[in-house]
Amino acid sequence: MRILSRTAPLLIVALLWEAITRGGLVPADMLPPFSSVAVELVKLATGGTLLPNTLDSVARAATGFAIAVAAGTAIGAGMALWRGFETAAGPLVQAFYPLPKSALIPLVIVWFGLGDTAKTFLIFLGCLLPVILSTYNGLRGVDQVLVWSARSLGASRAAVIREVLLPAAMPQILTGLRTAVAFSFLLMVSSELIIATNGLGYLIGSYGDNGAYPAMFAVILVVTGLGFAADRAFVALSGFLLRYRE
Amino acid sequence: MSTQLSLPAPSSLRPPRIAWSAVATVKRFASILAVLLLWEIAGRLHVVRPFLLPHLESVVWRFYSDIVTGTFFWNAALTLYRAVAGFALAAVVGVPLGILIGMNRLMRWFWDPLVSLGFPMPKIAFLPVFMLWFGVFDLSKIAMVAFSSVFVVIASTQAGTAGVERWLLWSARSMGAGRIAVFFQVMLPAAMPQILTGLQVAMPVALITTVVAEMLMGGAGLGGMMMQAGSYADSIGVFVGIIETSCVGAIAVTGMAQLRRHLLRWHPEFNPR
Amino acid sequence: MSDDLTGIAIDHLSHRYVPRTGQAVTALDNVSLTVPRNSFHALLGPSGCGKSTLLFLIGGFLPIQEGEIRTASGPVLAPGPERGVVFQNFALFPWKTVKQNVLYGIGKRGIRGAEADQRAQHFIDLVHLTGFENSYPAQLSGGMQQRAALARTLATDPDILLMDEPFGALDAQTRRIMQEELLAIWRETRKTVVFVTHDVAEAAYLADTISVMSARPGRIRQRIDAGFNRTADTSVFKSPEFIGLVEHVWDLVRDEVDEARLRSH
Repeated sequence: MRILSRTAPLLIVALLWEAITRGGLVPADMLPPFSSVAVELVKLATGGTLLPNTLDSVARAATGFAIAVAAGTAIGAGMALWRGFETAAGPLVQAFYPLPKSALIPLVIVWFGLGDTAKTFLIFLGCLLPVILSTYNGLRGVDQVLVWSARSLGASRAAVIREVLLPAAMPQILTGLRTAVAFSFLLMVSSELIIATNGLGYLIGSYGDNGAYPAMFAVILVVTGLGFAADRAFVALSGFLLRYRE
Repeated sequence: MSTQLSLPAPSSLRPPRIAWSAVATVKRFASILAVLLLWEIAGRLHVVRPFLLPHLESVVWRFYSDIVTGTFFWNAALTLYRAVAGFALAAVVGVPLGILIGMNRLMRWFWDPLVSLGFPMPKIAFLPVFMLWFGVFDLSKIAMVAFSSVFVVIASTQAGTAGVERWLLWSARSMGAGRIAVFFQVMLPAAMPQILTGLQVAMPVALITTVVAEMLMGGAGLGGMMMQAGSYADSIGVFVGIIETSCVGAIAVTGMAQLRRHLLRWHPEFNPR
Repeated sequence: MSDDLTGIAIDHLSHRYVPRTGQAVTALDNVSLTVPRNSFHALLGPSGCGKSTLLFLIGGFLPIQEGEIRTASGPVLAPGPERGVVFQNFALFPWKTVKQNVLYGIGKRGIRGAEADQRAQHFIDLVHLTGFENSYPAQLSGGMQQRAALARTLATDPDILLMDEPFGALDAQTRRIMQEELLAIWRETRKTVVFVTHDVAEAAYLADTISVMSARPGRIRQRIDAGFNRTADTSVFKSPEFIGLVEHVWDLVRDEVDEARLRSH
């Protein structure tokens, strides 16, 4: 029942979309009717274009994201736990904070050419900072009292990190990871629009260039749905990992 | 989204250190200087091809000449103009809408799923749509930026409005304030911290989107300039573009932080006890 | 209002609410109460007994479902400046200074300019916050913030003062000081006060009469006369009469607390 209530507004929007295009308020070459887009979507899905490109895109995004998580949590944790590392890495991280990550696209092209490695590397770079920052802040923000309690109960330094700091920092780290998921999609699409070789972003761009607007809108819907699904999946995963909380 | 680092800060496993000293200042910039030094050495020793990693001095020289010739200011101003215009549009639309959603149940029912969908969605995917609708000049870029930024503004404004303590509203009403007065004199100021947070997050989003849009559509502006440098194999230009874009990013973020500091000077975050 | 000596008349008041999960809860069940004008009346009871709900109904913040509340100004329909409120977490406007907060209520009463300024200063001095006129709430301690909230409400010259556990968020020492100061101000201004608390000694010290309320559903279990608030003598806390009253009231409340605890299992 609640799911119906939540999706109703979307259905309303779809109906409005259909109405204003069929009704002639908006020319069809600016906005194809929702039904045409839906039909095109089915065609693409069963056709053999959508699936391989989707897999390409998602694989790249997932790879970039995964490496960023591995490296980012390591760097963030290192900065939070070891003074020396923080002094070394901190200023560099802060220097890159104001840089809009999409500015790295031309650089990545210079280094890796117009291919998959370039896009994956860009996604990795873009996701890195939110992960580092949330790991660092999450670990820093752990209440001293928790650490002192553990120490007084006899926990070693390593045990404190593993059993107190990491779990306590987990909510904030997961929030940072959620942001990184969104960034990975953003950079995936951005890089594929510009380095137009394959992937969902490439499809959007090329359909647009060729005037195949129903197909273009169809792929945009796919990307939207994927981004949403990835976020939901992540929220569910976070909920599971944090299930001992309120 | 991203949280601001604050250095120096005590490690939770070590005793706090001394606040300020010349050593601390040097340490803050040490690693940046070290990187620059390594860069210079790598250049001198021809460790990497100049194409992949141009000499530090070439990059610095190009940056300097960009400033002197005005190229930097021209491109930066254009990019900043588009980002700020789109941001402003998102604010003008998003704040009132967020307030309405925060206050009205029906509005919340209708808009919540849409905003939840829009939030994690890679809005940049709509770039070709905006190009289709508005052409390849400023309007399409500004519209794209506004579309990208509006969701976070709505979500934060909504949360801020809904989260206003009822004691504040009740106090005002018991002192004789009418509904409209309560809205403008109490609800808005009370929601302001969170509204500003939303705007502060929206600014970097606006900038990222502007740069991508410029890269795809070409022309003037930092994104277009970097893309052009790339296509002419001008890697020095690409590196300088990154530096210049960082400058613009820093200006934008600092500007927003200053605005927050001014508007919220009463807030506990600026009045630690 | 027929009876000149009545400050607040509550008649057969009931209130129900439906929480998001679960069934309807009866917060108040057929409560009737008269508070004499210019008297200090305490509402005492365990958590969840509806005392705050009763206060909010008198304040006009919650719609009356069943029953009636009348004051000298007529039936209670909405919030208004004749019934001033002081909340537990102060509810000061954090973006305004102390003076601006106090001026807000004064402005709503139609007083402006130099007269408003003088009036604000008078009440700021009355609560001993002289010198902090231009401070923001974030710069003040809890006790100071509550003084500012009190000044703001008093400055609107309400007939009735409604206070919802106003010292609950303060530490014990500050609380004691604030009680003495509140009493001093009350002796001077003689408002009709309805004071919600769960602290028996506080009620016994401040009030003319205490209504002990039962656990949910809220009813007035018993009405007790106190009246130790006539003098400024703080040694009253040690007097046997006072201690006797506190013990007696405590027994009543303890029954209700046990009742509530049993019910919640």
